[in-house]
Amino acid sequence: MLDTLSQLAADGVARAKKLGANEAFVVIRRNAKTEIQRRDGKTERIVESVARSMAVQLYVDGRYSAQTTTDLRPEAIDAFLGDAIALTRALEPDPHRSITDPALFPRAQAALESDDAALAAGLSAADREAWVATMEAHARKHDNVISATANLTYERSMGACATSNGFAGTSQGTHIAPSVDVTLRDEGDKRAEDGDYAWTRFVGDLPSAASIGDNAIRMASTRLGAKKGPTLKGTMIVDPRAAGMLIGRLLGPATGNALQQGRSFWAGKLGQKVLSDKLSIVDDPLLARGLGSRPFDGEGIAAARLPIIEAGSLKNAYVDTYYGKKGGMAPTTGSASNRVVSLGDKDLAGWIAAVGNGVLVTSWLGGNADANTGDFSFGMRGHLVEKGQVGGPIGEMNVTGNFITLFAGLAGLGNDPWRYSSTLCPTLVFEGVQFSGAKA
Amino acid sequence: MPSRRQILQSAAASGAALVTVPGWLAGCAKQGDIASPVANLDVLSAFGVDAALCTSLLGELGATGADAADLYFQRTRSNFLQMEDGRIAEASASIDLGVGLRAVVGDQQGYAFTEELSLDAMRGAARTAASIASGTARPGPVAFNPTQGGALYTLAVPWSQVGVDAKLPLVRKLEGYARAADPSVSKVTVTWNDSEEQVVIATLDGKLMHEVRPMTRLWCIVTATRNGQTFSNSANLAGRRGVDWFSDQNLAELAKRAVDRTMVLFDARRPPAGEMPVVLAAGASGILLHEAIGHGLEADFNRKGTSIYSDMVGKPIAADFVNIVDSGVEPNERGALSFDDEGNPTERTMLVEKGVLKGYLHDSISAKHYGVKPSGSGRRQSFRFQPMPRMRCTFMENGPHTRDEIVASVKNGIIAETFTNGQVQIGAGDYTFYIKNGWLIENGKVTAPIKDVNIIGNGPESLKRVTMAANDTQLDTGGWTCGKDGQGVPVSQGLPTVLVSSMTVGGENA
Repeated sequence: MLDTLSQLAADGVARAKKLGANEAFVVIRRNAKTEIQRRDGKTERIVESVARSMAVQLYVDGRYSAQTTTDLRPEAIDAFLGDAIALTRALEPDPHRSITDPALFPRAQAALESDDAALAAGLSAADREAWVATMEAHARKHDNVISATANLTYERSMGACATSNGFAGTSQGTHIAPSVDVTLRDEGDKRAEDGDYAWTRFVGDLPSAASIGDNAIRMASTRLGAKKGPTLKGTMIVDPRAAGMLIGRLLGPATGNALQQGRSFWAGKLGQKVLSDKLSIVDDPLLARGLGSRPFDGEGIAAARLPIIEAGSLKNAYVDTYYGKKGGMAPTTGSASNRVVSLGDKDLAGWIAAVGNGVLVTSWLGGNADANTGDFSFGMRGHLVEKGQVGGPIGEMNVTGNFITLFAGLAGLGNDPWRYSSTLCPTLVFEGVQFSGAKA
Repeated sequence: MPSRRQILQSAAASGAALVTVPGWLAGCAKQGDIASPVANLDVLSAFGVDAALCTSLLGELGATGADAADLYFQRTRSNFLQMEDGRIAEASASIDLGVGLRAVVGDQQGYAFTEELSLDAMRGAARTAASIASGTARPGPVAFNPTQGGALYTLAVPWSQVGVDAKLPLVRKLEGYARAADPSVSKVTVTWNDSEEQVVIATLDGKLMHEVRPMTRLWCIVTATRNGQTFSNSANLAGRRGVDWFSDQNLAELAKRAVDRTMVLFDARRPPAGEMPVVLAAGASGILLHEAIGHGLEADFNRKGTSIYSDMVGKPIAADFVNIVDSGVEPNERGALSFDDEGNPTERTMLVEKGVLKGYLHDSISAKHYGVKPSGSGRRQSFRFQPMPRMRCTFMENGPHTRDEIVASVKNGIIAETFTNGQVQIGAGDYTFYIKNGWLIENGKVTAPIKDVNIIGNGPESLKRVTMAANDTQLDTGGWTCGKDGQGVPVSQGLPTVLVSSMTVGGENA
C-alpha cells in the first residue's frame, strides 16, 4: 500500500514539472478509520471509512500555492494540476518562498514504533463490542446514571511524500482511543457529567476497559453537588489531564509566523530567563510509541529533538522554511510533535498535601488568551483544597492572569505526566493566581 | 470530550489552536459543473452516478431492515488567499468530493463514506452502513421526486465563475484601507475564503434534494504598535454571499472596524473579578443564546436526558418579553439552508416564546422519538459525518427597553461587545464566552474600555436574569463556526442589547 502511495506522489511531482512547475512537493495520505459507539445498552453508531487525498505545493516562476484534492482519478489529477499551476501563475511573486532545503531532509528512516501490527490488521467485531460493552457497564455503576456513552475509535494513517529536489519519504502509524462519558442526575434540573479516555499507538498499551469505565463514573460522581467557589487569589494545582492545555497556550505564539508578524509575547525574549527555572520543555518527534512521533515534519524536515524551554528560557521557536526566510531565523520545524515537560518529585496527591490550601483545577471550560500580551482568562471546574484535603466540587469560575507571570510563579511540577496526549505534562502548581467566583 | 460544545471564531488575536475549521479550499474558475437551474435528475451526473444506481445503493442500505437511509453526495470547491506584509503570501485551493451512506434503525446509525465514487467502493460502504440493522429487507425507491433548493442564497455570479484576478484587487483594497486608517498600524493580514458546495441527497423514501451552497468570508487582522506596546485584533464579513458583497463601502467599514477594535486595546484594562451585571451589546452577543440555551435545546441531548433543559418544555424559563428563534431561512446568513443535510425543509423555529420554552431543534431521529415534525436542523460538516441536530441562525427578537435605559440602570458592571469563542456543558448548564472588547459601566455611564475577560454563567439561571432587552436586535455580520462531536458547521447569531443582572466576570482584583 505504501508503495502505491509513493508511486502516486512521484507521479504527481513528474506531472507537475511537465505542466510547468519549477518545483513541487506532493503528499499522498490515506487514513482508514473505524468507530463504534454504544449508549445505554445498545450500539448507537458504527462508522467505517477510508479517506485519501493529494496535497501539492507548487513553485511556479517565483510564485507559490498549495492545493488539495480528494478526487484521485488519473484524468482528474491532470486537470487538477493544470488548473493549480494556472492559478499559481495568476498570483504575485514572493521572494521568500522556496522549497525545503535538501540538507534538512532525513538521511535514514527513524525507528519510531508508531505502527501496531494488531491495529493495522484491525480488531474483530467481537473485540470492539467487548470494549464498549465493558466500559459502559462499569461506567453505569451508580444510582444516578441517566446516560453513559462508550466509544472506541481506531485508525491507521499512511503518508508518502515526494519532492522535485530529491526527497521521497513515507510514514505510517496507528492510534486507538477508547472513551466513556457519563451523565448523572444532580440537584434540580442539573446533571453532573464527566468521563475518561485513553489514547495510544498500540492496543497493548491501553488500560483495561473496566478501569476506564470505573474511572469515568468516579470522575463524574465527584461533580455531584458542584457549587460556585469564592473569588480569591491563591495557589492553583492543575491535574495532569488539564495541565497540557496551559503548555499548548504558553508555546502557541512561539512560532516563526507569530514572531515575524509581531503577534507574540515571546518577541524579544529568546534566550532570556523569564519563567521559573523549574520549567523545561523538549519537542521530541523521535519518542518511541509517542502520539506525536514522526520521521519528518509537514515540509520534510528530518525529525530531531528540539529544546524549546530550558530552565525557564526560550531556546527555540517552531520556525518553518518560509517564516525562517522572512524573519531571518534558521528553520527548526514548523509544528509541534511530542512535548515533553520536565518533572518534579511528587504526584498530584503529594502536591495537594504539600500545598495545604488552594484550588485544584480538573478541567477547563472555554476561555482564550491574547498572543501579544500573554493575558488569559479561562473557565474552570475543580475542587477547593483545604488543609491538604480535596474538598467539594466547584465550578462556574474563571482563572485570569498572564502566561509569563503565571509560569514565572510555577511553584512545582509533579512526577506524573499525562500519557494520553502528545503533550506529556505532569501536575503543575502555581502561586498567586486570580480566581473569580461568587461575591466575597 | 463529546459532552462539551464550543463555538469558535478564529482570529490572530486568539489562540492558535482555534484556527479555522477545516479549510474548505478549492476550485479554480474553470472546473464548473453547477447544478442545473431546474430540479431534475441530471445533477447526479456531476458525481458520475444516475438514479438507477442510487436506487440500487439505497436498496443495499435497506437490505437489512433499516427504517431510513440516505446518500449524501457532496462536491466542495474552495479557495483561500492570504495577504501579509503587502504580498499574497499564501494561496490554496481544494476539491473535496465524496458520498456519505447512512442506514438508520430507531436511534441507531450505521455510517460509511467514500471519496472514490466507483460502484465497488460505494457498494462496500453501503454494506458497512447496513450492518447496523438485522431485519427484513426494504427495497430502494421506485422513483425519485427531485427538488431544488438554493433560493435563500442565489448569487448574481457563482463563485465558480469568479477568477483570482477579480479577488486580488479587493484584498489589496481592504489592506490599503486598514493601513491608512491609523499611523500606528504596523501589520495587516487579509484572508479571503470562498467556496461552492454542490449537495445531492437521495433518501430511501424517494426524496432527491439538490442545491448549490455558496459561502465566503473576508477577514482583516490588524497589528498596531505604539510606545513599545503591540496589540492585534480583527473583524470579518461572512455569509452565503457573492463577490458583489465586497463593495467599497463594506470594505472600508470592515477595515475601520478591525482598526478601531485594535486601537482601543491600548487604553483597555481588565475589569474587577467576580459577579456583576453584564450588558450584552446588540449583534455578536447572540453568543449568549448559542451557549446558554441553544445547545441545550438540540433534541439529541434531550431525548438522551443529558441536557439541563430535558424537562422544561412548556415551562416559563425567562421574562415574558424574551422571544428566541433558531431560523434556517434568514437569507444569505451562514446558518441559512433551503433544506437540512437529511433533505428536510428548514423553518423558523420558536425556541422561547413570551418566556416559555416551546421546543427543541430536531433531526429525523429525534423528531420520530418525540412524534413531531423535523425542524430541518439535521446538519453535518461534510459527507464524512452523520447528521445531528444543530443550530442555524439563533437570535432574540426585540424587547421593550432601550439601550440607554439599560446602561443607565447599571451601577457597576460591564458591556460586552466583541467575542472570540464560547463553550457549554450540556448537563450542568455552565457556559462561557470570551470577551475581546468591552467597556466598564460606572454609575450608569460607559467609562473605560476593557479587554480579554472570560465570562461564565449557568444557562437557565442566566435566562432568568435577563431583566431588560432593547429594541435594537441585529444579526452579527462576522462568521461563526459551531463545533459539536468533532463536527464544525457555519452558524449565525444575533441579539438586541440585553442586561443579564449577574454573571461571573474573569477579571482581576488589585
